[in-house]
Amino acid sequence: MIRVENVSKRYGSTLAVDSVSFEIAAGEIVGFLGPNGAGKSTLLKMMSTWLPPTSGKIEIAGHDVTKDPLLVRHQLGYLPEHNALYDGMRVDRYLSFIGKARGLSGSELADRIAWAVDKCSLQAVTKKLVRQCSKGYRQRIGVASALLHDPPVILLDEPTHGLDPLQVVAFRDFLLGLSEGRAIFFSSHILAEVVAISERILIINHGKLLCDAPLSALEESARVNGGDLERTVLEIVKSERRFGDAAPEEVLA
Amino acid sequence: MSALRPRKSGGVLLIAGRELSAYFDSSIAYVYTIAFVLLANSIFMNEFFLVGTVDMTAFFDLMPLLLAFFLPAITMRLWAEERRQRTIEVLLTLPIRTIQAVLGKYLAALGLFGLFLVGSLPIPIMLFALGDPDPGLIASGYLGLVLFGALFLAFGAFLSALSGDQIVAFVVSTVLGFALVLSGNDQVTAVIDGLAPELAIGTFLHESVSVLPHYDTFVRGAIDLSSLFFFGVLSALFLWANALVLDANRE
Repeated sequence: MIRVENVSKRYGSTLAVDSVSFEIAAGEIVGFLGPNGAGKSTLLKMMSTWLPPTSGKIEIAGHDVTKDPLLVRHQLGYLPEHNALYDGMRVDRYLSFIGKARGLSGSELADRIAWAVDKCSLQAVTKKLVRQCSKGYRQRIGVASALLHDPPVILLDEPTHGLDPLQVVAFRDFLLGLSEGRAIFFSSHILAEVVAISERILIINHGKLLCDAPLSALEESARVNGGDLERTVLEIVKSERRFGDAAPEEVLA
Repeated sequence: MSALRPRKSGGVLLIAGRELSAYFDSSIAYVYTIAFVLLANSIFMNEFFLVGTVDMTAFFDLMPLLLAFFLPAITMRLWAEERRQRTIEVLLTLPIRTIQAVLGKYLAALGLFGLFLVGSLPIPIMLFALGDPDPGLIASGYLGLVLFGALFLAFGAFLSALSGDQIVAFVVSTVLGFALVLSGNDQVTAVIDGLAPELAIGTFLHESVSVLPHYDTFVRGAIDLSSLFFFGVLSALFLWANALVLDANRE
């Protein structure tokens, strides 16, 4: 469903993303970890068609993001990093605008808005202006708008940012319920969130993909080395060596 | 899961509708329209009662300077605001083409400008009630106004995309707008020519750069094809350049 092949992004002399490759199949929820400025958002922006890759190839649901951006966007639900929304619009009108732009209309549009409002618990704010909503509500409005058209591929950049702990738990359950038949790729810099939702984890730092492994492999590495998962991830980030290229013992050395 | 439903012209209208709502959801549309209509009508009325002729030439002569100020106020926010709020990433990752978004916003700006013109209709209504003005002259004058506005709105939208800041977009659009208008004024042309007679810069600007001579053909009652072409092609070029700038400046 998602294929990223040797993708790089260069800004002047800075290589923000360096030859990253991975694939995500339908039904997978993959967490994307990395410190601030590691290249997470840049990669997601390229996958969303917002930024063109400097080199390499990205395919979403079989469509090339550079050659067929419109077809890609139809297949994609995307929550950008800063979750920007039109502050002056009423929440229900904002969702309607996004739904129409995605080709929904009539009763189908009304049904999908009702579904998104229910799933994201937006009932209390549908008639409010976006600017009147709290940070948690704004984040949920962003998620609702990304899922409105029932996309097979979902990209979420820091989706739990701004949510309180209860909302994070509810969001995790919601995302798990969506995973059937969909490829979900979400970024975070909080390990616990990624571990709670995904069974496969990608770690990036300085633009390089340092880990693409099942959660169980990371847990096994942590167990073998007598450390916890957090420390293992931290060492992968620090070592700047790809996880699996060295023996687990060496990773912690 | 969703089937493919590429949007065509509907995308333009959808963006235009959202943009018009944004104008009216804030006080922008009301303030600009009321200010423009009051100013335009009162200046004309002053002239009308002094001169006492039943025609709109004084109104059409006044409009370029007034619009050189008011139209940048409409366009300054079009793209600069999207960048400031970061909503541009949301907008341009929807399944619509960049040029559709550009045309949608342009259409909304034209709509608000149309409201300005509707606000001036009491003038011809009054003239027809008082006397027998030349309807052809009034119609061609309004056509000139529409073309003038269409060009300045396309130009302002392009500068809003280019600058990324509302104030900068407004100041640059206004200064360049005034330059494009004033360079067509005979007195200004004479002054600039007088600075360096051998170069005849004023004449060059008057004949090759200013929009005023093209606009004046309509005000004088002639529908000149070359002027129609001038406004149409330049407007289209700025809209096309607007889309190019947006695609080139993604961050």
